[in-house]
Amino acid sequence: MEFKDYYAILGVAKDAELKEIKKAYRKLALEFHPDMNAADDAEEKFKEVAEAYEVLKDTEKRAEYDEIRKYGAGQKQGFTPPPGWQSESQHTHWDANSEDFSDFFNSVFSARRSRQQSHNDPFSQGYTRADYPMTGQDAELEVPIFLEDTLHSSAKTVEFMQSEVVNAQLVKKKKTLKVKIPQGVVDGQRIRLKGQGGKGSQGGENGDLYLHIRLVPHPLFDVQGHDLTMTLPLAPWEAILGTEITVPTLDGKVKMTVQPNSQTGQKLRIKGKGLKRKSGYGDLFAVLKIVNPPETDEKALTLWNELAKTSAFDPRKEWS
Amino acid sequence: MMNDSIRKVSIEELCKSKDINQTLVMEVVEFGIARPVEGNTIQDWKFDTSTVHWLKKAIRLNRQLEIDWVGVAMVIELLKQREALEYENHTLQRQLARFLES
Repeated sequence: MEFKDYYAILGVAKDAELKEIKKAYRKLALEFHPDMNAADDAEEKFKEVAEAYEVLKDTEKRAEYDEIRKYGAGQKQGFTPPPGWQSESQHTHWDANSEDFSDFFNSVFSARRSRQQSHNDPFSQGYTRADYPMTGQDAELEVPIFLEDTLHSSAKTVEFMQSEVVNAQLVKKKKTLKVKIPQGVVDGQRIRLKGQGGKGSQGGENGDLYLHIRLVPHPLFDVQGHDLTMTLPLAPWEAILGTEITVPTLDGKVKMTVQPNSQTGQKLRIKGKGLKRKSGYGDLFAVLKIVNPPETDEKALTLWNELAKTSAFDPRKEWS
Repeated sequence: MMNDSIRKVSIEELCKSKDINQTLVMEVVEFGIARPVEGNTIQDWKFDTSTVHWLKKAIRLNRQLEIDWVGVAMVIELLKQREALEYENHTLQRQLARFLES
């Protein structure tokens, strides 16, 4: 396994004081923390920094690490702890056997616990992974859902990579799952699938899988809460004279009336044609938009000219 | 209707994770970062799955960035606001684009 130079990872000197170590950690943690940095490699970098800090902030662990460092700094790729190495450190909130930490960390700091727990069992020794039940990690997966599919419950097949411990090695496996998406899901909602997350080890329970629902942008409709908004284009004469229009909705078409003298920006409500709510449905709002023809033929031009001469309408009245 | 286990998580289930314990969950609730949707006593608390996302984030920020709970409450509130504003901005941009396109 690779030797980890925790001082280099935090960018501090070997004799750095705790205060400097804390400062360096905070700076790097803020930069790479997955909640602050969305870059793909940020999480890995953060884990490395957190591991280095976990060791260097603790006087006892740091002293042990310094010992190991003298022994193994030159070994780089082929590092193994010295024969008979036994850590005396007690691990606090971060479990030393956690898969969040590197094999290097686990091999250096988990030896003692493994021996303590297995001393009654002469056949069990030298574990680098936990030998007590550990719950698997929770996982989260973004699931794109079409607006149409939220009206009824639907089945969806999802694929994701999952970490699993096989022969004391952490391996990633592709998992395929057919899931039922309940009706009425909204953007950002999380659905929990119990026991479908990371596998537990040593008889521990599996973690959960959270499906993070993301509504796929629709070519016609925008979502606002449980209501939908769409733009309804009208020819100038339709807006003036009024008309009856067939409007598409998520589940079929409906007829609606546009009143005479309608304006751009006016909203018409189509009741119950929005998204599924706890009870009933939201509404669909059609926002009127008056659109001119892209080209005007001679006959139309004559009519427009006539209108221009006879109409007293001044759209810029407020300017004067 | 969705059944309970897919939209709610009990405190007992939450605390199975190695990074979470009752004391931490109590801190998060005390500082108003997350609120249980069910249960009068701690043992009966249940959280909405979306709340669990923020609750876990709060615990991570407290431990990993060593931010105190008042700071965490503020960060979470701002992150929620940012998420809501980004969503609103995205929706309005799309609506505007539809309206402006010929």
